[in-house]
Order: sequence, then C-alpha cells, then structure tokens
Amino acid sequence: MAARSPQRSDAPRPSRGGPRDSARVIGVGLFLAMLGLWQLATRFEHPEFILSPIEIAGHVVEALRSGELLAHIGASLVRALPGFVLGSLVGVMLGLLAGVARSLDQLLSPVVFLTYPVPKIVFLPIVMLWMGIGDPSKIVIIALACFYPCFINAYYGARRTPTIMVWTSLNMGARRSQIFRKVVIPSSLPLVFAGLRVSLALSFILLFSTEMINARSGLGFLIRQSESSLRFDLMYVAIVAIAALGYASDQLLLLVRRRILVWQEATSR
Amino acid sequence: MSARWPALASALRRAALLAAGVLVWELVARSGMFSPIIVPSVTRIAYQLWLLAIQPESVVEAWYSVFRALSGFALAAVVGVALGVLMGRSSLAAAFLGPLFSGTYPIPKIALFPIFIYLFGIGSLSKVVLIFLECLYPIVVTTHAGSRAVNRVLLWSAANMGASRTRILWKVVVPAAAPFIFAGLRIALPIAMIVVIITEMISSADGLGYLAMYALASFKTDRMLAVVVVIALLGLALDWLVARLRDRLVFWERLDAYYAE
Repeated sequence: MAARSPQRSDAPRPSRGGPRDSARVIGVGLFLAMLGLWQLATRFEHPEFILSPIEIAGHVVEALRSGELLAHIGASLVRALPGFVLGSLVGVMLGLLAGVARSLDQLLSPVVFLTYPVPKIVFLPIVMLWMGIGDPSKIVIIALACFYPCFINAYYGARRTPTIMVWTSLNMGARRSQIFRKVVIPSSLPLVFAGLRVSLALSFILLFSTEMINARSGLGFLIRQSESSLRFDLMYVAIVAIAALGYASDQLLLLVRRRILVWQEATSR
Repeated sequence: MSARWPALASALRRAALLAAGVLVWELVARSGMFSPIIVPSVTRIAYQLWLLAIQPESVVEAWYSVFRALSGFALAAVVGVALGVLMGRSSLAAAFLGPLFSGTYPIPKIALFPIFIYLFGIGSLSKVVLIFLECLYPIVVTTHAGSRAVNRVLLWSAANMGASRTRILWKVVVPAAAPFIFAGLRIALPIAMIVVIITEMISSADGLGYLAMYALASFKTDRMLAVVVVIALLGLALDWLVARLRDRLVFWERLDAYYAE
C-alpha cells in the first residue's frame, strides 16, 4: 500500500495544518504557563518535597551528565521493550487469526475475554515465584499485559473487515492467504494501532510498578530508592525521565502509524 | 459476540475450558514434579479461599481495595463525562482542554505516585487520586469522541422544536454519546483495578494487593493464589456490572465494543 499512497496523502496535509498547528501552539502555551505558575508558586512557602521547574531541570542535566540516569534508563528499556514487542506481536497475530478462523476464535476468545478484566499485575507474585525476581519475570508480566489490548483490537479489526472487499477479492480469484495479507490486515490496521498504543501505555505502567516492587536498577527503582531516602531531586529526575520516555515512545508510535496508515490519515477528521 | 453464538454453547465452552485448566493444574501439582510452594494444589488453594471468605479481616481487606478502586473510578466517570461532553460541544473548551489531554495522555501517571504519597499521605487518598487520574483519560477521550459524533439532524430538529441548550444536552447529546461513554468506562474499570492492586503492592498495609505480597513474602503460595483468584473474580464481577448497566441504559445499541479507537 505504500506504493500507491503518495499522490493521495499529499493533498490534504497542507489544508489540515492550520487547526493542528494552532492546537499545538495552545498546548505548548498552556504547558509553559503551568510551568511559570509552578515556578512562581515555589517562591512562597512550600513543603520541601516540591521543587521548582528550574531546579528540576538543573538536576536532570546533572544526572544526565554523570551517566547515572542513562544506566537506569537502559535497564528499564531492556525490560519494557522485549515485553512490549513479545506481548503485542503475539497478541496482534493471534487476534487477527482468531478474527478470521472460527475454530481458533472458539478456542481462544472465551479465554481471552474472560480473563481480560483481571488485573494482570496480580500474576506478578506467581511469575516471580516461577521465574525468579530478575528481568524475565518482569518481561513476562509486561508481555502478558500488552497481549490483551492487542489481541482484542486486532480481533475486532479483523472481524470488521468489510465483507464486500472479501467477496470482491474472492471473485477476482485471490487465495485465502492473499486475502489475509492484502485485505484483512490493511483494513484492521487502524484498530491494531489503537491497541498498540494502549499496550504501550500499559507496558510503562507495569514496568515502573514491577520495578518499584522489586528491582536493583531501572527508573522505577530509582524513584522508590530516592523517595525512601528523601532524595527529592533524584525522584523528580526519575519522574521527568519516565514522562519523557512515555511521551517519546508514544510519539514514535504515532509517527510509524502516520507512515503506514497514510490512507486513513487522509480520510479521518 | 454472543449474537452469533448461542449463549448456552458459549457458557458451556467456557466452563469446559475452565475445568480443563483446573484439572491440568491439579495433575501437575499432584505429580510431585514441583514443590508445593511453587505449584500448590487446587484443593489447598480452595481451602485458603474458604478461609479468606470466612475471616472477617480478609473481607475487610477486599472492601478496602474495592472501595478505593470504585471511588477513584466513580470520580473519574463524573468528571470525565462532564469534561468530554464539554469538549465535544464547545470549541473553546476543546481548544484549551484538547491539547492538555493529548499532551499528557502518554505520560505514565503512576510515576507521580511518590509525589501523591507526600501530598495526600500513605492511606487511601493518594491511591484514589492516582486511580482517578489514570481512569480519567480513557473516559474523557471516548466521551469527547461520542459527543462530537452526534447526528447533526437530531440536534437541528431538537433546536427547531424549541429545545433549550441544556435540554438538547440532556435529551440528545448525552444519550447519543452513551455507547461511547460506556466503552470508555469499560476500558477504565480494569485500569482502576490494576492501579489499586499495584499501589497496594508498592506501599500499603491493607488491601488485597498487600495481602498477596504478604502471603508471597511468607511463602504461603496457596494463600497468595487464593488472593489472586479473589482479585480476578472482583475484576470480572465489576466488569459484569458495568456491562449489565450498559445493556440497561443503552438498550437501543446492541453492539458492545471493548476497544477504543
């Protein structure tokens, strides 16, 4: 689909730039205004666990320079990325297949939908017991949590494939595998990406909670350690790093989505 | 989903799968391959479940968890629906709140938990605030989408018949957005359960999350698994309640979506 998209996607982009740009300006303006208010508020009497934005920025630069922060970021990413990739890959694949194959649907869907509302973090103690308290148990829990939104979105995405398109391609003599690749996957991609986005957010929640519960490295550990030793500067550094990582990875996902889903960007909104 | 499958066959299939899972677990536990600390047998877990059910203090722990999850969730539902409808119907509100929500959406709110502990104390309040914050986003996003997608003709005809703005809001916009609102609620509820268990595991002296970690730390695996079963059942029950409420209130639309776009 990448080959036929350019001429279609280029046209609407300039016309859409206006409102999105103004929204961005308002967003940045609001953000700066809040930071300014915060900075102003810290000039008055305040508890010692609240630092001003300028102080926090100074500490972040300092931690980056000493390399301490980078080591923790690396440790966190080594846990989050494999978990996210594993869970979402398996989730999307099984979800798409369950969406098109009835036998797999009847085998998998009841289990998945039944266990979906169960908070996956409760399995952390069990997995810790089975796989130790090292990285594998954290990766498994993150993968498990990422599996669900991906499976469910891919499942509905595949089932929502317009029947007419399937009929048309059948009529033109397409094989089943061709229909799956050329019709089902493209038409379910928007929902798959929505699922990936939810999973990404979940992987961060689980990463930091597993690291807070037990870890010797990583940003969650850094928060916990600095919180209990009253190092508020380090605590804020870790929070800023988590926020930046979460934001950056989400933007990256949206960028990939815009690249792959050019045809949908042009029609939506 | 169940429109295609007869409900009975589906229920039977679930029961059969569940029974098979339990049977496999029991066989593995009895085979002696693993220590009972690693894989306790189903009967021992069931016994611990029975103990949890009859001990008043463990019921109190469960009540703590449910109370925290539901109060954060309810707060987020009220505020989130109000904000979402406001953003959907007022371009001014959308211009200011839209960037605020989309900008902070990808930031993991759980990172703020230590600050909340200092601000609101280590008790229930810090947990409820975090649950509120985590649940707010999906509800606002879906409500916003729903109240923007209201059929224009319905709005025009209501206005044409002389309905005031508040009347249009209550009689047209909110019902039209209701399916979306419930989709948001069903996304938010499992999040509320996740966050309450996580926060209780990290820092608490009560609640089911604490109970599970405590049982694990004292190597009472059977008791820990019993707590896990209780948490799972609570998650299922709450989700079932929201789904039934949805069927009651949004009776005109049968398609039940679990996903967010």
